[in-house]
Amino acid sequence: MMNLLLGYQPLLDLFLLHLGLAYAQWLVLRAGVFSLGTVGLAAVGAYTGGILVVTYGLPAPLALIASALSGGLVALALSVPLARLRGIYQAIATVAFIQIVLSLNIYATNVTGGAQGITGIPKTVGTPLLLLAGAATIYLMYAITHSRLGRAFDAIRQNEAVAASLGVSIVRHQTLAFVLSGALAGVYGALEAFHSYALVPSQFGFPYLIAILSYVVFGGRTSLWGPIVGTAVLILLPEVVRPLADARMLVFGILLILTINFLPKGIADTLIERARGRRLGARRPAEADTAKGS
Amino acid sequence: MALILDNLSKRFGGVVASENVNITVPKGKITGLIGPNGAGKTTIVNMITGMLAVSGGTIRVDDTDITRAPADQICRAGLARTFQNIRILPENSVLDNILIGFHRHERCSTLSALLGLPASRRETAAMRARAEALLERFGMRHLAEYPAGGLSYGHQRRVEMMRALASEPEYILLDEPIAGMNDVESDALAVLFRDLADSGIGILLIEHNLRFVTRLCQHIYVLDGGRLIAEGAPEAVLSDPAVLTAYVGGEHA
Repeated sequence: MMNLLLGYQPLLDLFLLHLGLAYAQWLVLRAGVFSLGTVGLAAVGAYTGGILVVTYGLPAPLALIASALSGGLVALALSVPLARLRGIYQAIATVAFIQIVLSLNIYATNVTGGAQGITGIPKTVGTPLLLLAGAATIYLMYAITHSRLGRAFDAIRQNEAVAASLGVSIVRHQTLAFVLSGALAGVYGALEAFHSYALVPSQFGFPYLIAILSYVVFGGRTSLWGPIVGTAVLILLPEVVRPLADARMLVFGILLILTINFLPKGIADTLIERARGRRLGARRPAEADTAKGS
Repeated sequence: MALILDNLSKRFGGVVASENVNITVPKGKITGLIGPNGAGKTTIVNMITGMLAVSGGTIRVDDTDITRAPADQICRAGLARTFQNIRILPENSVLDNILIGFHRHERCSTLSALLGLPASRRETAAMRARAEALLERFGMRHLAEYPAGGLSYGHQRRVEMMRALASEPEYILLDEPIAGMNDVESDALAVLFRDLADSGIGILLIEHNLRFVTRLCQHIYVLDGGRLIAEGAPEAVLSDPAVLTAYVGGEHA
């Protein structure tokens, strides 16, 4: 039994690392910012952490804090031009940002180790710490959802004019969401660096972006369960059905196409909605209304 | 103490959408703004609510100049609105739709909201209680958990109204609030509007339905071609030849 669990430990680690980035992606989408820059911000955090530990010999906990700050600060700088853009233009701008980070990682050889990346990072992060980080992340997302911030994010995402007419500052809240998401991505980038001994520049590229985005789209974009369900299913599936492991990207693609067509709100969000429908007696509000009136 | 539009103008290039419009909306009264299609009513609404830049003149809420303030600051100055085409948050429940209306009164710090500290939880609970009280008052308590997107038209209008009221405005702008409603529904709203005015809120009612406006308002402004062509008590205004010409075509038409 113990052996079986140990066999799955790397998978659990992978799940927890990706879950954190999935939440970073989920948070910005919730506030109506169509950013795809999460992996770019994770790269900033990972390299900050890696460089501080390897080159400057900083202790890992301090480096982790610096990674959160760097992710948040870069997001803050990025939010200035992003605030002037909407929808697909934000997506394009943030993908361009990822390219910039990737290029810097490759060409700023003196600082980032260039194409070689950074090696010899002491492994300071194991499963217990990742579990702790996962729990903290979920709690944080839960707290935000049930606070005035979550309500403001929901309003902005669905209708900016309504949000503004009720006194919600769109720029302030979207900037806050983006900075929080950047700090979270920075932390998880650093956790990944401290977990895996080495960083290579191509690590935080396009396939990673697609994977993170898939978790959120597949699981659900508004409920707290979305990233958990999406990440769990998409990470476990290729492992459980072993022959699929080699065709991971193919499976991702097919599942995404099916989800977008048949469950456009994602698995978790759709199930939650259906459960709510049943709880409300599966009757239309109008009928509930006449039932009360009669 | 009033919402005052002073010589308000809007030009789109050479096109004049409104010119030297002077309107005063006193507290505790319902002021009407009518005019045929294309008269410039929506332009006025959009300028007041900060969705359209003002070309000339000023807008003041009590002593605060809101002429160039962004939409969210205008709400915080005490001016709420409803939309001509219903705008609710369709994915959220009815209760959540109203909760967001309280945004202006939420005081807890960003840090305690982030960390889910007791201050944030207490505030959320308090706002919920107030939203439920509003739902009770509007007779929609039993619909609190339903997704707002699935409600009937009349109910969605009421959700919008409750949301605007949740911000506890000094003034409220109602942009064609009874469009598409039957007489029973609009009569119920008329009672409600009068209650609101009696409680001290200043109401600017933008409406197509002349009968509805005449019944509710003590003072009416008539807009045509971007200019005010008449103002005064409903009976006087509606018998004004200029108003008749604008609405049904003059004797020469």
